[in-house]
Amino acid sequence: MSSILEAAFATVVFPGGLFALALGLFLKGMDRKVLARLQRRVGPPIYQPVIDIAKLLTKETLIPTTANELAFRLAPVLGLTGMLVAAALMPVAGVWNGVTGLSDLLVLLYLLPIPAMGLMLAGGASSSPYGSLGYSREMAVMFAYEMPLIASFLAVAVRTGGAAGPMLSLSGIMAYQIHHGALLLDPVMLPAVAALIVFIPGTMGSGLFDIAEAESEILEGPLLEYSGPLLAVFQLMSAVKLVVVLELVVALLCPNPIPGGVPANLVWHVGKCLLLLLVSVTCFRAATGRLRVDQGFAFFLKFTSPLALVSLCLAITLR
Amino acid sequence: MTTANTTNTYTLPVGPLHVALEEPMYFDIQVEGETVRGVQLTAGHVHRGMEALAMQRNYLQNVTLTERVCSLCSNSHPATYCMAVEALSGLTIPERAKYLRVIADEVKRIASHLFNVGIMAHLTGFDSLFMHAMEVREIMQDAKEGVYGNRMNLGQCVIGGCRRDIDEETAAFLRGQLEQLKPQLDELYGVFERDPLIRKRTRGIGLLPLAEAKRLAVVGPVARASGVAYDVRRKAPYAAYPELDFEVQSDTKGDVHSRALLRLREAVESVKLIEQCLRKMPSGPVCTEGMPAVPRGESVARSEAPRGEVFYYLRSDGTDTPQRLKWRVPTYMNWEALQVMLANCQVADIALIVNSIDPCISCTER
Repeated sequence: MSSILEAAFATVVFPGGLFALALGLFLKGMDRKVLARLQRRVGPPIYQPVIDIAKLLTKETLIPTTANELAFRLAPVLGLTGMLVAAALMPVAGVWNGVTGLSDLLVLLYLLPIPAMGLMLAGGASSSPYGSLGYSREMAVMFAYEMPLIASFLAVAVRTGGAAGPMLSLSGIMAYQIHHGALLLDPVMLPAVAALIVFIPGTMGSGLFDIAEAESEILEGPLLEYSGPLLAVFQLMSAVKLVVVLELVVALLCPNPIPGGVPANLVWHVGKCLLLLLVSVTCFRAATGRLRVDQGFAFFLKFTSPLALVSLCLAITLR
Repeated sequence: MTTANTTNTYTLPVGPLHVALEEPMYFDIQVEGETVRGVQLTAGHVHRGMEALAMQRNYLQNVTLTERVCSLCSNSHPATYCMAVEALSGLTIPERAKYLRVIADEVKRIASHLFNVGIMAHLTGFDSLFMHAMEVREIMQDAKEGVYGNRMNLGQCVIGGCRRDIDEETAAFLRGQLEQLKPQLDELYGVFERDPLIRKRTRGIGLLPLAEAKRLAVVGPVARASGVAYDVRRKAPYAAYPELDFEVQSDTKGDVHSRALLRLREAVESVKLIEQCLRKMPSGPVCTEGMPAVPRGESVARSEAPRGEVFYYLRSDGTDTPQRLKWRVPTYMNWEALQVMLANCQVADIALIVNSIDPCISCTER
């Protein structure tokens, strides 16, 4: 009974559900504010994403007459649900150990592409040519960044070696790092660290990889026909996805808690996510523009995947 | 461009309202995957009947009207119109006014070119560079406001000369703005020339070979980047240009990147031109006294606007209203070249290529 209650708490309140939504919107707001300061603009207030969502929720939902209505309505809900489930699996070092004894990295590998699939479904269902272009781009980019992601997962798993429980368990990986030091500082893992840091803007579609929703090319592609509450759900999905991706990379590379109990570690955790966001998303997109879809694909194939594979090979050899 | 294979293509409607287009224009684009297979241009969304209006207003009122044809080249239109009226009525403008007209033209040219390269950065998604280019342009906007009192329409040209003189104090202010601008233009040129992303996205796309440029008779930076060193300021000098020393910029690559760099080099030349004008400007009146009646007859005038050659035709029947006023703008010559540039490009490059001719739809459709 208690495990069911625990799971419900994890899904609805912490670390998934409300916490993930709040953290996601905060991070989105910080991203916009810091980007604006980097570009010497004033920028919106940090709570702007919340205002945006509130406004969208009060608006009418318009659905194109040629769209497939069921798929059109389902796509954002699918994406958000997938991400909320993923957020519930995330451990927060020193606060919440996540689900133990589960090969949750494997589960996450299946959960992480769900937002992209939601967007693809949205693009396909919206019956707009920009939507279908977004669909094909989303798919191409997804194939490009999944490969280094899987290789990095395996490298981390092999390096930590299933010290406690299954090899692909996040809590096991965390336990290893708490005893042996963060993988972030492990020379063998350096290439995989780089690959994972590039994976974040890749999957979030920022900077060089703002390909599937390229505003000045295909008018945000799959999102073009969306308005009102459905668009709000997509924005929430994107916010929670940001949290999941950042928390995942933090858990894989530097989950180490600090002394000072739960409140201190909670702040520490949020701080780590924020720092990672500023480095991998905000500064990255302030310093770059967007690649063409073929160039983006080649980038992951030529640079990111080999990096992750190098770490994997090193980890296997040095076992 | 003909559509080769209609079975695998679908229509991508770009415009008339599209984030990437500053002004309304409709492109009916046949796409196969991400590759453009056919393009049809449809224009006419912002036709305001200005040529008809010009025939209902007198010569003085038309100065104000032509200034409102377009915002980015808002000095080239009245200046060329005034040149046509002056040619017909045999007016010679004072020496000082010639220099003042060059200054106004070149200030607008710098601002226009910086705007265009800024938009190019925005279209590659490089918004920081866009913000930076616009910040550099702001120096010129301040200069316009300080010297002419307006940030877009300068209101400098009148028939027979110029409206405002530039006194010592204003000249010093303008020189100060140019001193501020120079290092920033150099820096901006370096970024546009060397930034890996800008190079990756803009080099080798939107190619316009020399032969095609000649066949389509393109003008302005589009022609010069393709190797046609045609500049009205050099080929048919007007105002004070014969006395001024400047280089006509040209390039042979003819792609989006070379057009952007060419515009930045032209902005640097414009700075030099303004400085020369401020130095060489003779003292004297800035405008002729009164205006003679415009005799029956016709005349033409042309000048180099930021986007290329502007051509004005004027016919008078001896009344105070033109019988016919007609102008041809650079974009009208350049947009046909889009058919060549867009052939087999990627969807991602459409906006960049269209922007590289610096289209001015409000000029073209007036």
